[in-house]
Amino acid sequence: MSALQEQFVTEARELIRQANDDLIALEREGTSRDRIDSVFRAFHTLKGSAAVVELPAMSLVMHAAEDLLAVVRRGELSVNVDTFDQVLACLDLVSRWVDQFEGSGSLTVQADEDGRAMMERLRSFLPRQSASSTRKSESAASETLLPEWASILIAAERDALTSRLASNKSAIFAISYEPIAGCFFNGDDPLQLIRQLPDLLAFRIEPRDPFPPLTDLDPYTCNLRLEAIAAGEHNEIRKVFRLVPDQVRIAAIPAEALPARVSDTNDGKGVLIGKVIEAQVELLRVPDRRDDFAGCIAAAARSATNALRHGDYSQLEATVEQAKTLALSQRDPTPLLAALEQAAVDIAAPLIGAGVVDARNLTDGPQQPAQRVLRVSEAKIEALVNVAGELVVAKNALAHSAKRVEEEFSGRGVTESIRRDYQAIDRLVLELHGMILQLRMVPTGQVFQSFPRLVRDISRQLGKKAELVTRGDGTEADKTIVDRLFEPLVHLVRNALDHGIESPTQRLAAGKPETATLSIEASRMGDRLLVQVSDDGRGIDLNIVRQKASEKRMMAPEELAALPDEQAVELIFAPGFSTTSEISDISGRGIGMDVVRSTIEQIGGKVSLQSKSGIGTTVQIDLPTTIAMSRIMVVETGGQFFGISMDAISETVRVTPDRISQIKNNNGFVFRDRVVPIVALAEIMKLPTKTKDTTVAKLLVVMEAAGKIAALEIDAIHDRLDVVLKPMQGLLAGARGYAGTTLLGSGQVLLVLDIKELLP
Amino acid sequence: MTVRSTDNGTLVLEGVCPVEDAEVLLQLLQTMPTAALDWTPCRQLHTAVLQVVLASGLVPLGPCGDALVEQWLAREPSEADD
Repeated sequence: MSALQEQFVTEARELIRQANDDLIALEREGTSRDRIDSVFRAFHTLKGSAAVVELPAMSLVMHAAEDLLAVVRRGELSVNVDTFDQVLACLDLVSRWVDQFEGSGSLTVQADEDGRAMMERLRSFLPRQSASSTRKSESAASETLLPEWASILIAAERDALTSRLASNKSAIFAISYEPIAGCFFNGDDPLQLIRQLPDLLAFRIEPRDPFPPLTDLDPYTCNLRLEAIAAGEHNEIRKVFRLVPDQVRIAAIPAEALPARVSDTNDGKGVLIGKVIEAQVELLRVPDRRDDFAGCIAAAARSATNALRHGDYSQLEATVEQAKTLALSQRDPTPLLAALEQAAVDIAAPLIGAGVVDARNLTDGPQQPAQRVLRVSEAKIEALVNVAGELVVAKNALAHSAKRVEEEFSGRGVTESIRRDYQAIDRLVLELHGMILQLRMVPTGQVFQSFPRLVRDISRQLGKKAELVTRGDGTEADKTIVDRLFEPLVHLVRNALDHGIESPTQRLAAGKPETATLSIEASRMGDRLLVQVSDDGRGIDLNIVRQKASEKRMMAPEELAALPDEQAVELIFAPGFSTTSEISDISGRGIGMDVVRSTIEQIGGKVSLQSKSGIGTTVQIDLPTTIAMSRIMVVETGGQFFGISMDAISETVRVTPDRISQIKNNNGFVFRDRVVPIVALAEIMKLPTKTKDTTVAKLLVVMEAAGKIAALEIDAIHDRLDVVLKPMQGLLAGARGYAGTTLLGSGQVLLVLDIKELLP
Repeated sequence: MTVRSTDNGTLVLEGVCPVEDAEVLLQLLQTMPTAALDWTPCRQLHTAVLQVVLASGLVPLGPCGDALVEQWLAREPSEADD
């Protein structure tokens, strides 16, 4: 994929997101000029960039959407929920195309069809006369050169043409064929003639007079007009219609009247300059400009000459400049129009001069507030994080070397000096590492952005009313965390809408406002990120939860009955648990809260849930803000070293044998009023255990993870380190029980244990 | 027969639909105005048949087997029409 294409993908996504946000806001807050302008701009830019990367289907759809928005902007059409649905659906389609384009560098054949269909749907919202007025303005450029019917046809099929002209070098003709009413009796099949055209570029068919109701329709009276644009020899085309010369009109289309041949010009700059000039032509043709004639001419000429200068078309620039002077003196825009049209044609011819221009800079430059952001690919940041991680390891090695110098050469003085240097480096490296990690920090708002749309669509689908409130959009966390947050959040929001929030009538009956409030809130607590999803729905019915759990034989009925409410709520996180008997489309198929929990736990987070019957449910997600760096404790057992994540450790204790008692087959001890089972790490790891000295106190690391508690018995505790955890790779990728590996200062590889897997 | 109605009330256009099909299709549509129309198995459509489809305002179940019609003239169901 070329740099231009990559940039297109990035920008298109941003624009789609922006348009989405604006549309949702428009629907919620009512029509506001600024918002409409912003949506319009986004669509306009998308249309322009789609042409640059040669995606005609996308240009087509964007063009239709832009037409619709233009009518809305002019206040000629009041929008309703269906209009919003359609424009949003159009963005969805384009978004899928962008994904497809990113994946394969092109769109499938299906895209053309989908695009046409979408265009039709968008056009169907247009008021009748507005559709024709749009066509008229589009066709303005070629009016003087062509019969009106031909220019209207070209304008209407502009986008179909743009995409097909590329490979075509022959002459182009517009054909209008009105078969006589009795043609079917003559054995004519007009479609058959169209099929014979050498190179069909565009084709449409419409009734000459509106169709009568089916009951009055005469199937053998032809009431159609067939219009086509085709490439080929004039004779060839004449020959096709040789038997019906009286029913057909054929007009040659001069090159100037055709839309710019996008594919002829691989150079984005040329295409854009061409577009700038075309825009000026369109502007000049707006009829009600007489009042500010001079200003209008000067502005159009200035934009055009600027664009031409930008593309090193100095000769054309001079011609346009002369034409401007002439136009001003004659008080007639014709000379300037002619010069601009000629310039557009000249540019469309194969281009000289390379260089690629950011589509947005030219098409929308002055309108968009400049936001100076440097785009760096994720891979580069990733590499930087890795290097910084290695630096941390190298720094740790320095401490190790200092220790050796002290031990082996008893060079205390030297050691002191190394220690001091080490501390300075330590501080700098940590600072550097911290700053690099900051690069990966993104606001959680990035994830929240998709939710207004989701909530809107789902609540409509369910016939419920819900308003989404997001807070703390600016709270930052590592990109990996924020990205991974999306899926669990989608699930929680769907759950809330589907199961939690009641129907409007139920809500009113319960004395609640008809519209439910769903909130997603992010906040920072020290180095943790808290995300809370709450709704004011019906809450979780614990009786149903207990009943389900008993049906699924998750626990014995008497155990369930004795289970305190806080623990009963936890049951919904159990694998395979779902409180509705039927799997609904909304909350997914068989994916339950257990998936939410495991996804969050994979990134070092915790999920908890509070619910009050009739009042609502709150799910709280507690996450680390970074995962690139973890703090571990190095422990030794059976002569081997292992790392344990400090997150999992609640305490380290020495326990004298008399406090340890045998419970069933296991050892355990009472710790802060809880019975904690003891697991010997050496046994799990199948390492030689030390001879059991029953008099010596045991060293235990008490750990809590996944709601379980246990104490690992180890031989010794060594350093506590900040390390960069690498996932298990290669042969070890499938090894269970390990969270990853890291390098120790000595160069030794340290295996870091995955506590969740190890706890009994 | 290149126009037929199936048991579940769908009208199907099949193969090469000649000019005569226009009348047959129109009669079927007049008697069952709410029928669905499937033109996927149709390889080639006569203009007269297409005219009946256009006049009926029906959105046939696509894609149309006739490449020309499918490429240029087929419409997808539009929610806006209701």
